[in-house]
Amino acid sequence: MYAKLVFRNAKRSVKDYLVYIVTMTICVTLFYSFLSISSSYYNPDIGSAYDFTLLSDGMKMAVCMITLLLLFLIRFVNHYMLRRKQKEFAVQSIMGMEQRTIGRLFFAETLIMGIISILTGIFLGVFCSQFITAMLLTTYGKSYQLSWTLFPDTVLLTVSFFMLSFLIVGLRNTRTIQKTKIIDMLSADRENEPELEKNRWIFVAAILFELFTVWAFITGITKVLFYYDSRFALPVQLMYFGNILFPAVTLVWSVLWVFRKKKWGFQKLLCGLLSCSVLNSLTAASVPALTNRYYLPLGNGMLRQYLLFVLMNLLFFICAFIYLASYSIVTWKDKSPEHRYKEENLFFFGQILSKLQTTSKTMTLICTTLVLAIFLFIAAPILTGWASGYLDIHSMYDVQIFTKYNNVYDEKELPQDDYETITDFLNEHDIETAYDCTFNLYLPRKKDFSRRIKYDFPIVAISLSDYNTLREMLGYEQISLGESEFTTQWKPIAAEEELNVFLKENITAETDAGILTLSSKSHYKEPIGETVYNSYTNVLYVFPDSICEKLLPVMRNRYITTTEKITYENALQLEKIFMAAYPEQAENKAAYGVRFSTLQMNSALAGNFILQASMIYGAVVLMVICLTVLSLQQLLDAGQYKYRFCVLRKLGVEETHIGKLILKQLGVWFGLPIVVAVTVAAVVTGYFTQTISAEISAYIGSTTLFIQIGITIGILAILLICYFLSTWILFRRSVHL
Amino acid sequence: MNTILKLEHIQKYYGNKGNVTKAIKDISFSVEAGEFLGIMGASGSGKTTLLNCISTIDTVSAGHIFLEGTDVTEIKPKSLARFRRENLGFVFQDFNLLDTLTVSENIALALTINKTPAAHVEPRILDMAKKLNISDILSKYPYQVSGGQKQRCACARALINNPRLLLADEPTGALDSHSSQMLLSTIQSINEQLGATILMVTHDVFTASYAGRILFLKDGEIFMELRKGSDSRNAFFDKILNVLTMIGGGQSHVC
Repeated sequence: MYAKLVFRNAKRSVKDYLVYIVTMTICVTLFYSFLSISSSYYNPDIGSAYDFTLLSDGMKMAVCMITLLLLFLIRFVNHYMLRRKQKEFAVQSIMGMEQRTIGRLFFAETLIMGIISILTGIFLGVFCSQFITAMLLTTYGKSYQLSWTLFPDTVLLTVSFFMLSFLIVGLRNTRTIQKTKIIDMLSADRENEPELEKNRWIFVAAILFELFTVWAFITGITKVLFYYDSRFALPVQLMYFGNILFPAVTLVWSVLWVFRKKKWGFQKLLCGLLSCSVLNSLTAASVPALTNRYYLPLGNGMLRQYLLFVLMNLLFFICAFIYLASYSIVTWKDKSPEHRYKEENLFFFGQILSKLQTTSKTMTLICTTLVLAIFLFIAAPILTGWASGYLDIHSMYDVQIFTKYNNVYDEKELPQDDYETITDFLNEHDIETAYDCTFNLYLPRKKDFSRRIKYDFPIVAISLSDYNTLREMLGYEQISLGESEFTTQWKPIAAEEELNVFLKENITAETDAGILTLSSKSHYKEPIGETVYNSYTNVLYVFPDSICEKLLPVMRNRYITTTEKITYENALQLEKIFMAAYPEQAENKAAYGVRFSTLQMNSALAGNFILQASMIYGAVVLMVICLTVLSLQQLLDAGQYKYRFCVLRKLGVEETHIGKLILKQLGVWFGLPIVVAVTVAAVVTGYFTQTISAEISAYIGSTTLFIQIGITIGILAILLICYFLSTWILFRRSVHL
Repeated sequence: MNTILKLEHIQKYYGNKGNVTKAIKDISFSVEAGEFLGIMGASGSGKTTLLNCISTIDTVSAGHIFLEGTDVTEIKPKSLARFRRENLGFVFQDFNLLDTLTVSENIALALTINKTPAAHVEPRILDMAKKLNISDILSKYPYQVSGGQKQRCACARALINNPRLLLADEPTGALDSHSSQMLLSTIQSINEQLGATILMVTHDVFTASYAGRILFLKDGEIFMELRKGSDSRNAFFDKILNVLTMIGGGQSHVC
């Protein structure tokens, strides 16, 4: 009998459960598809040069961490279902059914829905994992074919994870049902809104913000005391004093408020703090940007501390903004009778205010999470693009041996080696080399050897023949120089402006072997690896061989390309041998380093993929959570709304007006957090891309970036529209019934 | 006196061809301007159906309803809401106030829906509140005031647009006897001083005794009509009781 009841209930209330099933299916799909990468049966063809275990362990960790967030969503959706069915439970228990039985019936119902969503979720997950495989193989630069396989271990893990969470949540629900009084169940959908209480959390937020401001103020003062120099450029000076001034203004404002508390009211304090938080975050955000640009010394961990300040200011901004939004609606309503007494506006104000005041905490949380999600979405392609672009430039040769003379003060101790250990190893393992080039980098003037201040390192030079060999290795055209001419080779990251200024000021180059003039082809920007440049410089001179013979060689590098890729094991072994022979901090203080493209590719690609996959997964999960919570919050109160709209109808309001009211209400409810989140996220992303604009233009390209950001925004917009429409339809349904 | 409401052979059926329930068989009556009419009857006698038909919430199966000469049954569904808010006022058993709005805003809502200029809204509310003695609770929320006050607020909302006809569905149903008495005196004074036409459905004898004329419904037909005339309220009360006893089951209404 009960089984029949369960199935009939489930069948009949499928529409009620729609939200539940859809949310659960999305959760299962995401979980399965991302976890399938780490399955032991998963064996994508990524080539012998790559080691896959590195990836799957990291992946498993990332997926599990993010999935913890899903638990929260499962709990929330269950809570929603529970609220929705209260009245039904009441009737059943009045009829004499034990509350324990009711609880079990509900549990069975949700379990059926859960199983349905697990099955659909895994089915969809198989599709989605194809997409992720595609993403993976693209990362490793392979073409891909679709294959339809179900991984038993992933299925098992997915089913057990979700079953376990259903079980836990289900048991909790059963307990809740057992403990609820019948009378509370009966009046669940008609209960009055709790009295519009004052929000305590905003006070706590304000106090925390004040404390942070004090910290920022003190930090600002210490920075000026220890690092300030009146010769700094104007923006830097502004930054230094702004970081004292604005926190100080914030504090003064608060002190002023304390004296005029009664007259001003809390909202005025908050308004002031809100504007201060904007100014504070601006100056705090300028610290990392200016530090990068002007190479400012600020002490260890300072950047992180200032980023923390920015974050705190932004968080407080969101809190205060949402709180003040409801307050400003109240004031607007009070101060403008024309708007207040215009058609159904009174009703609309009532709807929005009662909701905003009781849920502004949730709104703030949703807003913050949305910002995070949007940022993750946009930052994922930027970071991975950066990393892979960087990788391309870094691992241009199969083996790169390089040196640094930063700690060498005696000319005799400069590296002179030919790195024969490597040659031996390659011969031993029958690894054929296609190109092998050992070359020196020279100082134009010997006296510059002692220039060791961070931003004053001299530019080194390479001989024309060595430079041409490198170009040949990389498949670039050969170049030629006149008798006493020179040219320059630039890092891709160097800004166009920097390049132009340099070339304008350095038409001639002074060397120990005479003065050279700039060749008509003054610069080359093809990437030739990052280790041919001196520390802290973005440019390399190319001098004729005859000149270089007379100069002081300070660095000795060797680049090798092999006919076949060195395997992962060989690369590991070779690295070990090299490190033993040439330690990074050798006794004569010259620093040696070796890079194998195989190893670099491996760790970078795996790291890159984990980074990208987990960021996108995290962003999707956060996004889904936010939007589901937003829409459920509205549907949760559908019972109350039904009554209210019913009253409106009785008062003689047309259906078209009611439709407009619903749209308006949902518009504000979805619009407010999303507009705030998008604005904050846009500012954060703008700042982020600005800070690393050099890297972006060097490794990604701004067109690619805009396309990626465009796609991201498109996906977000589609998600949002889907949620908005379904909430709208469900809302109308529940109001009309 | 001119007739405000006129019902001609109203019929209302529920169900389909094979199984028809006649909620209202054949009812005709008219209401004069300024009259206070009560409609009584046992459960299932068709009171609420009748009220729903007059208030245009429900449609009739046959017959005509004229409100000041307009045939209500002929109004297009699109214009019904407009007609309702311009001509009718409602008072419900369960108040139907919005708990997100204050008492004054609840009253204002009825005005604003009718597109009253903003400048006129507040003076009219204050005026009405004075008449109904709710001036001191205007800024409170419905859950902060008593049931009687809520119903008076609902009355104010119903009357603020100067409706042709005030429809009251068991207005004292959710009130205790003291609040009922206060509310009924208010309604009576509205009727006498403002000249409002009131149609009140009730099954409570005490409530009904405030009306000037009472129609008794039984099985979808008018069973009897009773006029107060020059009787005192007590005498009228006894008369009503007698009629109910005659209809049957009246004793249960006494207490």
